[in-house]
Amino acid sequence: MGQKNIRNFCIIAHIDHGKSTLADRILEYTGAVSKREMSEQVLDSMDLERERGITIKLKAVRLTYKAKDGQEYILNLIDTPGHVDFSYEVSRSLAACEGALLVIDASQGIEAQTLANLYLALDHDLEIIPVINKIDLPNADPERVIRELEDNIGIPGEDAVLVSARTGVGIEDILETIVERIPPPQGDPEAPTRAMIFDSHYDQYRGAVAYARVVDGTIRVGEIIQMMSTGRQFEVTDLGVLAPNFVRVGALGPGDVGCIIASMKDVRDTRVGDTVTVASRPAAEALSGYRPAKPMVYCGLYPVINEEYTALRDALDKLQLNDAALTYEAESSAALGFGYRCGFLGLLHLEIVQERLEREFDLDLITTAPSVVYQVVLTDGTVKEVDNPSALPPVTKIDHIKEPYVKASIMVPDEFVGAVMDVCQDRRGIFVTMEYITPERARLEYELPLAEILMDFFDRLKSRTKGYASLDYEFLGYRESQVVKLDILLNGNPVDALSCIVHQDKALSRGRALAEKLKEVIPRQQFEVPIQAAIGNKIIARETVRALRKDVLAKCYGGDVSRKRKLLEKQKEGKKRMKSLGNVEVPQEAFMAILQVD
Amino acid sequence: MGVYVHIPFCAQKCYYCDFYSVVVSREDFTSLVGSYLVSLRQEALYYRDRWKDGHLESLFIGGGTPTVLPPEELAGLISWFLEELPFGAEPEVTVEANPQSLTAAGAKVLAEAGVNRISLGVQAFQNHLLEAIGRVHRAEQVKASVAALRQAGISNVNLDLMFGLPGQSQREWTETLESAIALEPSHLSCYGLILEEGTPLEKWVSAGLVEVPDDDLQAEMYETACRILKGAGYEHYEISNFALPARRSRHNLLYWRNQPFIGLGSGATGYIQNCRYRNIPDLWRYIQCWRAGSPAYEDAEHVSPEQEMDETMMVGMRLLEGVDEASFRHRYGVSFWDVYQAAIADLLDRGLVKYTEGRLRVTARGLFLENQVSQAFLR
Repeated sequence: MGQKNIRNFCIIAHIDHGKSTLADRILEYTGAVSKREMSEQVLDSMDLERERGITIKLKAVRLTYKAKDGQEYILNLIDTPGHVDFSYEVSRSLAACEGALLVIDASQGIEAQTLANLYLALDHDLEIIPVINKIDLPNADPERVIRELEDNIGIPGEDAVLVSARTGVGIEDILETIVERIPPPQGDPEAPTRAMIFDSHYDQYRGAVAYARVVDGTIRVGEIIQMMSTGRQFEVTDLGVLAPNFVRVGALGPGDVGCIIASMKDVRDTRVGDTVTVASRPAAEALSGYRPAKPMVYCGLYPVINEEYTALRDALDKLQLNDAALTYEAESSAALGFGYRCGFLGLLHLEIVQERLEREFDLDLITTAPSVVYQVVLTDGTVKEVDNPSALPPVTKIDHIKEPYVKASIMVPDEFVGAVMDVCQDRRGIFVTMEYITPERARLEYELPLAEILMDFFDRLKSRTKGYASLDYEFLGYRESQVVKLDILLNGNPVDALSCIVHQDKALSRGRALAEKLKEVIPRQQFEVPIQAAIGNKIIARETVRALRKDVLAKCYGGDVSRKRKLLEKQKEGKKRMKSLGNVEVPQEAFMAILQVD
Repeated sequence: MGVYVHIPFCAQKCYYCDFYSVVVSREDFTSLVGSYLVSLRQEALYYRDRWKDGHLESLFIGGGTPTVLPPEELAGLISWFLEELPFGAEPEVTVEANPQSLTAAGAKVLAEAGVNRISLGVQAFQNHLLEAIGRVHRAEQVKASVAALRQAGISNVNLDLMFGLPGQSQREWTETLESAIALEPSHLSCYGLILEEGTPLEKWVSAGLVEVPDDDLQAEMYETACRILKGAGYEHYEISNFALPARRSRHNLLYWRNQPFIGLGSGATGYIQNCRYRNIPDLWRYIQCWRAGSPAYEDAEHVSPEQEMDETMMVGMRLLEGVDEASFRHRYGVSFWDVYQAAIADLLDRGLVKYTEGRLRVTARGLFLENQVSQAFLR
């Protein structure tokens, strides 16, 4: 089949607007997956993805479709992650396509991520096909969504396809529109080979597998390929497409989307965004847009039981095989012992890794409060990057500190504009602009410190707007900021793992709130435990966990010793999950308490 | 060495109770009780043939509410046990009773059958508190019940009291203690309310519908009980138990000294020849099993020598006399100092236990934090 019969497209949407369900329907309709084989949402393969209803890793599926014009087409559907943490991966998957289905929930309308994704797609010159989904819902209002499209994005309403991914209505229309409107790939089969990696995964038997879109030239089995960012070379042992099961092919030509297997050790050999060329006739210039994944958020991960340190390292090693964005290095804490300082793309990425470590590797972990990376400019002019409060140099050596800022775009119904402004203002936000998408819906733009977004920002935003607010943000740069280190003392002893870096103006209220929160989560002990918050030598807040007065099982249950023993064993087990700091037993959640305070 | 018999019938289920018992309609009651008593006798004979631990010194009929059975039936069962099982001289024979289900005539029948100790579920002397926890009796009935027992010649009477009840004040608790003392019982049990999972009370409290005194108030109530009862001449001999001289519960001492006992009836537990078993907490299935001639336990656990040691310490530390080093060494061939070196050192360090007169026992502080003491001995 020639290049002219290939269509490469992706689906972009705000979270929960039905992207995965739509992908499933398309797979089902084109016969790639039979109805019987369909477990809900084929493209989300990890359990975690299913539970959280988000797509973590994008993948590509090749579909064959016989259109009404009588010709057969290859449609490559490239799935994209739906969370701001993974926006770079989204941009790479968009770069692998010529067109995009922009899915909008017929009852919700355009949301922050709809727009963010749309602008990204337009940046890549994609043909946009608006798809208004969930038209079967009783509160669906496709007319309104069409108006929003016309007024704000300038897309003619008649271009929109009305579907219900749930019932399957409109799926054929989508496929026909894809064939008609999305241009076939342009690429020179004779030029030196260039293919862009838009995803990868680690396979226990085959090593790292790269998902790539060939732009120019051809990749063949047996050839030596070269990664243009690192210069590393590998011999191609296998090529294939996912239909959605792996189907072996001999070569991938211009416009093709497939996977490359070449004895690559881990996913750091197959960096997303990198260009693959053929070593015998390398391309002169890489495709544009590659940048290495850079962690934005750091936290410490410590085993509750010190002996699990090695198990934690092995688990991180294994996860990293499949996650190029995860970084970690050994660190030690006076309070928590030996652990790892880990870097993540964002909070969601952090939570996913933490949960996988606990679930798949059965580890009990203490996670310290996440921190952004601060740029500390020392008095001698050198700049030190600090992602751990305890690594902050002494005040006398610091000239000033810079913190990362993001540009946040928030969409809400008109009536909540005030609430959004309150929340942003409270989080040191700088108002940039506001516009009305429709008379009832506004989009606000703020510049915010990333550190503030980590602090429960989205939850707060949601609760103040009855769940209507949607948020998207992108990194802006570093700005000078008056931040200080807030220390926590338990029983008079500073606990390094509870320290955090906060803005000067917030220090007092955060210190108080943190002390209060810790009082709630630290169980009463045999002795009174004073909790203090301090900046330098100055105590700014104090709380006390009163001594435990009574801990008795009153009755011995008619001689039921087994039962009593089990109850006590359970209690003892709970204690083991706590960390002993001096003679104070501290539960895991205490170390994340800073995230739950105002 | 003793026998525990579970009578799993109640007139009404108390809101805090998670012992196995059922409320049976009047029509089904007679035949069900008949079948149950037959099964109990079968089970007693089964264990009698396997019992190798010498004379029995206590028979305890608990529940449920044993006194919802017709007094003659209950008395008949007790006489039969005393006759058929290898009891020694002058066993302690206790029956748990509810004040409203105990009549003068009933008390007399029980006394004649050999019952010499009654444990009355009094809980509180304020009707609004009794209602709040679903008790069927009324405070006024307690005095009459105690009088009936005395008249029947039963002088060894325990009153069960509870603190930490929904809405209970410190003053009400003091009144309860004083009213109880005025009745001159030989023994008093004071239990702090425990919200057991699955009970109605626990659900109401977690739903915020009912409020119970917090731990600090409970601790104060417990302190009050210790002080007032001591002043009235009662010896505080176990965490929750107080007795006049020579009136300690022989039956409960068996448990606290980790001695074997036969458990009979649906929902009962037993401990013989290093095996702990739990009978099916389902009356009908229990009866079915015995009709088919097979023992009705659903859970049996062999207790290793190490585990037995742990449990001996765990329950022994509930007694204020503590655990005797020499007896422990005699029983297990090792000193507890060697087995629990680190644990005991830590407890001594924390001031929760002390070692005096050859016994390891809880301190005043340890008494309030007994869980932490017991826990230390679990390996």
